[in-house]
Amino acid sequence: MVGLVGHNGAGKSTFVGILAGTVVADEGSIEAAGVVGHGHAPFPAASAGVRTVFQELSLCPNLTVAENARLVHADLRGWGWRRAAGRRIASALDAVFPGHGIDAGSVVGDLSLGRRQTVEIARAFSGGPGPLGLVILDEPTSALDGHASGQLLSWLDKAKARGIAVVLVSHRLNEILAAADRVVVMRDGRIVADERAEGVSRERLVALMGHVAGGTAGGAREALATDAPVLLEGREAAGGHGLTLRAGEVVGLGGLAGHGQTRFLLDVLDGTPWLRAKAACAFIAGDRANDGVFPLWSIVDNAAVGAYSRLGRGGFLGPKRLRDLAEEWRRRIGIRTPDVDDGILTLSGGNQQKVLFARALASDARILLMDDPMRGVDVGTKREVQALVRAEAAKGRAFLWYTTETEELAQCDRALVFRAGRIVAELPGDAITEEGVIEASFRDHAAA
Amino acid sequence: MSTTLARRLRALLPAIALALLLGAIFWLQPRAMSYFGLNLLLNLSIPIVFATLSQMLVLTIGDLDLGIGGFVSFVACVAVTLLADSPAFGVLVLAGAVLAYALVGALVQLRRLPAIVVTLGMSFVWFGLAVIVLPSPGGTTPAWLQAALRLKTPLVPLPIVVAAAVAAVAWFLMMRTSFGAVLRGAGGNPVAVARAGWSLLTIRATLYALAGCMGVLSGLTLAGLSTSADANIALRYTLLSIAGAILGGSEFTGGRVSPVGAVLGALVMTLAASFLAFLRLNPDWQIGVQGAILILILALRAGLGRLERA
Amino acid sequence: MRVLLGAAFAVLAGAGLARAEVASGDTSGKRIALSNNFAGNSWRQSMLKSWEETASKAVKAGIVAEAPSFTTAENQATEQAAQIQNMILEGFDAIVVDAASPTALNGTIKEACDAGVVVVSFDGIVTEPCAWRIVIDFAGMGEAQVDYLAKRLPDGGKLLEIRGLAGVSVDDEIHKGIVEGVEKHEGFEIAGSVHGDWTQTVAQREVAGLLPTLPKIDAVVTQGGDGYGAAQAFKAAGRDMPLIIMGNRSDELAWWKAQRDQNGYETMSLSIAPAAAQVGFWTAQQILAGSDVPKDLLLPTLVVEQADLDKWIARTPEGGVTNATYTQEWTAEMIDAVKNGKPVPATPSE
Repeated sequence: MVGLVGHNGAGKSTFVGILAGTVVADEGSIEAAGVVGHGHAPFPAASAGVRTVFQELSLCPNLTVAENARLVHADLRGWGWRRAAGRRIASALDAVFPGHGIDAGSVVGDLSLGRRQTVEIARAFSGGPGPLGLVILDEPTSALDGHASGQLLSWLDKAKARGIAVVLVSHRLNEILAAADRVVVMRDGRIVADERAEGVSRERLVALMGHVAGGTAGGAREALATDAPVLLEGREAAGGHGLTLRAGEVVGLGGLAGHGQTRFLLDVLDGTPWLRAKAACAFIAGDRANDGVFPLWSIVDNAAVGAYSRLGRGGFLGPKRLRDLAEEWRRRIGIRTPDVDDGILTLSGGNQQKVLFARALASDARILLMDDPMRGVDVGTKREVQALVRAEAAKGRAFLWYTTETEELAQCDRALVFRAGRIVAELPGDAITEEGVIEASFRDHAAA
Repeated sequence: MSTTLARRLRALLPAIALALLLGAIFWLQPRAMSYFGLNLLLNLSIPIVFATLSQMLVLTIGDLDLGIGGFVSFVACVAVTLLADSPAFGVLVLAGAVLAYALVGALVQLRRLPAIVVTLGMSFVWFGLAVIVLPSPGGTTPAWLQAALRLKTPLVPLPIVVAAAVAAVAWFLMMRTSFGAVLRGAGGNPVAVARAGWSLLTIRATLYALAGCMGVLSGLTLAGLSTSADANIALRYTLLSIAGAILGGSEFTGGRVSPVGAVLGALVMTLAASFLAFLRLNPDWQIGVQGAILILILALRAGLGRLERA
Repeated sequence: MRVLLGAAFAVLAGAGLARAEVASGDTSGKRIALSNNFAGNSWRQSMLKSWEETASKAVKAGIVAEAPSFTTAENQATEQAAQIQNMILEGFDAIVVDAASPTALNGTIKEACDAGVVVVSFDGIVTEPCAWRIVIDFAGMGEAQVDYLAKRLPDGGKLLEIRGLAGVSVDDEIHKGIVEGVEKHEGFEIAGSVHGDWTQTVAQREVAGLLPTLPKIDAVVTQGGDGYGAAQAFKAAGRDMPLIIMGNRSDELAWWKAQRDQNGYETMSLSIAPAAAQVGFWTAQQILAGSDVPKDLLLPTLVVEQADLDKWIARTPEGGVTNATYTQEWTAEMIDAVKNGKPVPATPSE
């Protein structure tokens, strides 16, 4: 098993695309299981036994789980294909994610992001007619919670034992180090290192990727003035915890993925009888492609759309003002682009996310709602954004930050742990640890 | 739990609307509640059903066909001229028309053109061809076609038999076969389907070709009912078919389609006009009220859709 | 078909055969509907009003039980077909149709006939043989214009022809009539032709565009709704005002009157009276009353001559078309004339 790492825009996804046959290489050749692909033609991945789990989900949300399995298995046809497809995907799910609780007949669009990802991963490992030689996983754990990630990693060990080669692309360096035999580091489209996993440390990897290892995460938190204005107040129904959000606070939302954190953020945004925001809110989407970017717009427009009303004069938008705003944020958070007038889709995933940050921060909202926005973002960008969040909080903004990564949660002043749509625990800053969150997530499970 | 309930309700919405409309019509006009009455009430829905299914097929991949009305008119004009005079040539022309539809689909895919613009352009092409084939209103539908549409089916009137059969076939094709799953998948997430090794070009061309076949059936049945044609005969089918398909549960965004719903939607659109006529509503208001009914049903559906996501 | 209709008459009106000119069979329980496909211009508005007048009087007098009118929201044959099917379902005894298409309604009209409903079409007529047609002699309307010009200009002259909406059968027929007239009378020649779409503004624009290329024009033949626009174009170009045939629109008649009072301008004006709907109504009533009516009837055009100009202007609503009133007696007379091959009576001027 090979782990592939690199900062955003290093060329990992392009490389994956070439292997998967969806991107045509300009030069060079690929050989796998006797099938040779040359540049200027898509690599016949399927016949070479290569399956891929792409970074952006590649399921059709309007189809059922079984029908999605049909898409990749050409042999599922004729009478009874639905049942056969259902059986195939169900057995794969059972093998990789025991206790997944997903019905093969359910429509993918109804599943949470995490569950969709488990379906997609299982689909790649599901049995089919052809040989299964290599599975490429591009950020497979980005939408998975810790439990499911663990299941996946232990399955990968089993797959390895069965002779299936795996390429694992991930920003979670710990996963790579734990699971991979070899680690390949990419930078600016080239491979800069290829080492055995045992020999490398986390710090070395980060250095190879082009970032200097930062200081200890979190850093000193300033004591919050308890008399800071309250921006959000919520009474949680039946047994849940209440919530008070003061200016300058960064409150994390944790717990297992898909337990109501996103719903909660949307409730704050829309306002409900038991949840009243006393200041304007801005939402930073985690599901970039669906909820976040306007794919046809330029970077400028994507960044400035939240501030139109402030930047407009008498109903007209000054292009200059918009551009200035975009340039300013490009400088401040380091959006890597030659020109802010380029289309948003010219940016890599992490940089698109930065634009979304810029959009929210450029608006006059005082409460910022972050829906796991750092999914699939490299370590460097994460650090930059964390610093930004701290700086903005110090200016009197408040953040509600849903994240699936404990490391990020630990950055927060407080953390609310969600289970089944409710807040079940509130952890003070120094109690936010992997164990603490897991313990809180399952605490009332036993009681209930 | 409430998700499945809401989804079921949503799927039932066109059926409920149809039942309500039929009930109201029977109440206003008991004469309609007979073999003869139902036949009269519904026989013009046959071509609309086919046109709506054609529209639904194009909606499957997230496109909109603004040319279907012109196309159906063209087919009707061919049916009363070429098909009557020299059947072999007529069939050839209709086959060519289906091929043209497939080519439009291929063009939309290859050049990444907005389908709405291409099909709008095609609507003028079809209209122009219809005028060339039949410069002034007239022509005669072949006797066999007229006879087919006058068929007195036992017990249940022909329009209902046709609607049920067509709904069943389309449902099976789109919802139960693996072929249909791929077609719908292409509307839901084209990138994913392409990555799984399917050609979007083939898929889009196939869907458009199927839509063309439905359009041909629509034009033939329309010609069979009216016994003659003119180049303007079916222009309003464009909007009717869109309204019917959307009413029946299809989404503009592609992927989510419902053949049975589309057939029911087409029947609802047909009956809504009759219902208002039986109410003796001032004609100036009729079109507005028809629109209001449509908006009401769509609003209901959107509400159920929200419940479904909750 | 004949036999079937004969049987229908026997049922509907007993033995009431046409003894006198007006069939007197009892139709007090009968219901007649008007199916109209379009209400978007002044002619159609006047037509609907004429129907309304006659229908309400007839209902009050107990001649028929009910005579509502229905207009489709969109000018589409399929929609009108559905409308007629609904009328059959509602059990009307007769349906008077101003059809969106001469052919596209045939299937539905046949269904109506098969259900025993009397179908009378006028203005926009249908070709289905089982229906009655009140045919307007459009070709005659074109020919009459040239006939009139031959009287006024014995030596002939150069004509400008303003046509209607391209591709519509009415335009074709009027044009044919004009061509026939030109061939019949020596010395006339069509020097130019434009499509005025029966609309003053379009006619004015088109004529103005063509005028510079034309020699001296002696007369303008028109289709109605375009004469005033032509006059404006000639005036703007500073050309001699030719003899322009008018089409009974209020602005055309007003201009004619002003010219007449100023310089004795002489012309004629002709069009179809919107009260054609009344002929449709009375024809349907007469058929229901048992009269033996031929399938193809003729409606004369309403001709306004110099002498009657003031009288007709009084009968022309502002922004509308000169109208007349057709009575039951007039209709019976017309039916009789057609049956016996006699000339059709002139449009009543009262």
